[in-house]
Amino acid sequence: MHWRIAPQIQARRMIDRKPLYLMTPALAWLTAFMVVPCLMILALAFFQRGIYGGIDYTFTLENIALVFDPLYANIFLKSAFIAGLSATIAVVIGYAAAFAIAAAPANRQAMLLFFAVLPFWSNYLVRTYAWIVMLNREGLIAGAAQWLGYDGELPKMLYTETAVVIGLVYNYLPFVILACYAPLSRLNPEIAEASRDLGGNGWTTFRRVILPMTVPGIATGFVFVFVLSIGNFVTPALLGGGQFQMIGNLVYAQFLTANDWPFGAALSMFLIAIMMGLLTLQTYASERASGAGREE
Amino acid sequence: MTQPLLTIRNVRKNFGSVKAIDGIDLDIHENEFFALLGASGSGKTTLLRMLAGFELPDDGEIILDGKDVSQVPPNHRPVNLMFQSYALFPNMSVARNIAYGLEMEKLPKAEIRSRVDEILEVIQLSHLANRKPDQLSGGQRQRVALARALVKRPRLLLLDEPLGALDKKLRGEMQLELKRIQNEFGITFIIVTHDQEEALVMADRVAILKDGRLLQSGTPQEIYEHPESRFAADFIGVMNFFPVTQENGVLRAQDGSTITANTPLESAARGVAAVRPERLHIGGNDRDNSISGTVSAIAYHGLDLQVHLNTPASPDPVLIRLTADVAEQAPIGVGDSLTVHWAAKDTRVFAV
Repeated sequence: MHWRIAPQIQARRMIDRKPLYLMTPALAWLTAFMVVPCLMILALAFFQRGIYGGIDYTFTLENIALVFDPLYANIFLKSAFIAGLSATIAVVIGYAAAFAIAAAPANRQAMLLFFAVLPFWSNYLVRTYAWIVMLNREGLIAGAAQWLGYDGELPKMLYTETAVVIGLVYNYLPFVILACYAPLSRLNPEIAEASRDLGGNGWTTFRRVILPMTVPGIATGFVFVFVLSIGNFVTPALLGGGQFQMIGNLVYAQFLTANDWPFGAALSMFLIAIMMGLLTLQTYASERASGAGREE
Repeated sequence: MTQPLLTIRNVRKNFGSVKAIDGIDLDIHENEFFALLGASGSGKTTLLRMLAGFELPDDGEIILDGKDVSQVPPNHRPVNLMFQSYALFPNMSVARNIAYGLEMEKLPKAEIRSRVDEILEVIQLSHLANRKPDQLSGGQRQRVALARALVKRPRLLLLDEPLGALDKKLRGEMQLELKRIQNEFGITFIIVTHDQEEALVMADRVAILKDGRLLQSGTPQEIYEHPESRFAADFIGVMNFFPVTQENGVLRAQDGSTITANTPLESAARGVAAVRPERLHIGGNDRDNSISGTVSAIAYHGLDLQVHLNTPASPDPVLIRLTADVAEQAPIGVGDSLTVHWAAKDTRVFAV
């Protein structure tokens, strides 16, 4: 079918030729400050820890093996659970918000998006500290409960897993809203109308037409939150109160307190591998969903 | 005729201060191919969306099979719409797209499959049943959209500018195809179009809309040969206009020459006389009217020759259509003087 192939060939030519050199600065930057350090860390993971915290350049697989020690493997699983839970909650809330924004009058959408993303412009630490103010025993939530007449004992909120999940969801929600808004706003409104016209009610239309068409946005949002959460160490440190560790905290401790750089490096490599695996999967999934590269 | 299938009675719809539909009455009969014709902003699409249930009229009734459906939501009307963008579900194959509406009716799987297969035969796309919409050409998508609406066997099939996205040649084929399918299924079709030629070719009856009002409705021939307003005369086909004044029952063009018509100008002293290009001829016996002028341009259209004539009787050049054989007998060049004639019965007059 000529009408379809022609623009693709054109696009391929554009990429094949001239503009490649325009990528050189970005590639150089990434190589120097991302690829090389990552490789150095990868190398570190195969050496022994020096007696006084330095590095003893003797090859070993001990650090890799230690990652699979139940003690540390459990921290990995725990982190994955917290990240998965946060990503799920963020997707549910974020998708609903994105849906509402995309359904708003066109001239108000930009403003609504701006407000949704507004917290991003403030410092991550400040935003996380704000939750301490909210959640502590004399905090805003406790105060509000009291003001409403509740005088019983409130469950402990700060320094719990729940607090960490709340903090992660809150911080990464704008990502999800943006990721879900993109496909929702591009939906041709006639497609939803077609479903109604053919006899579908609102729920069926959503489930069978709108939701499948916006899966790439959901996947992007989920993977973003998951990847950013599983390696996060600020939020668990502040809102978890050191009660429990996530992988990020463990890596941090290996490098800065335990002075066991090789083990820290081994943990980091696993973390990076998980993230890269997920991102690759997500890219593949959204490419498939958008129909790019589909052959006859 | 018996009771009409669809009666639109005094329907009104405002968007803010804009009167999108300003009181329309219309009867459409069983098995009719009906065209709503109008320029953009005429209200034709709003009217169609009200029939489908996507807009609710502020006032008036839409009576289908004797029941007022004007407030019934789209998924509960025996009416289907073929969207201008086709609005195929990109995540579903051709067959799944077509099956969707039947699944909503909760029909048995076997019946759904046989009805989908059957309609795929009709639109001749059985071999593409498993393709996704983005793997189809524009013409194929259009057929799928048609099949998806048609397979539900609605009482009324609405088509919103169905041929707008197709190239000219394909459009001609699809016009005949749509007529064939309408005939075969015996379903009432209402088509919205801004293309007067499309309306004339396909429809049994045409309604011309302007500014949310119904200007005129009738068969294509009635509309073309007997337009009731200057707008309708101008909108449908090509028309030559001569500004005229009427004194003692005689019409005079701006250069003082007389123009004869079978009907007088009613209740006005000023107006326009109008005549279709194909009614003007250089020979023949119908010499009730004659005008002379200079040929200013000639456009060759293969089938005919379109000659522009500058004449003192009209501010705009008069357009004449000469068939190829007439043009060959008497070759005409730019700058030539030419006299054309037409019969009084072919003159239409409108007040302005």
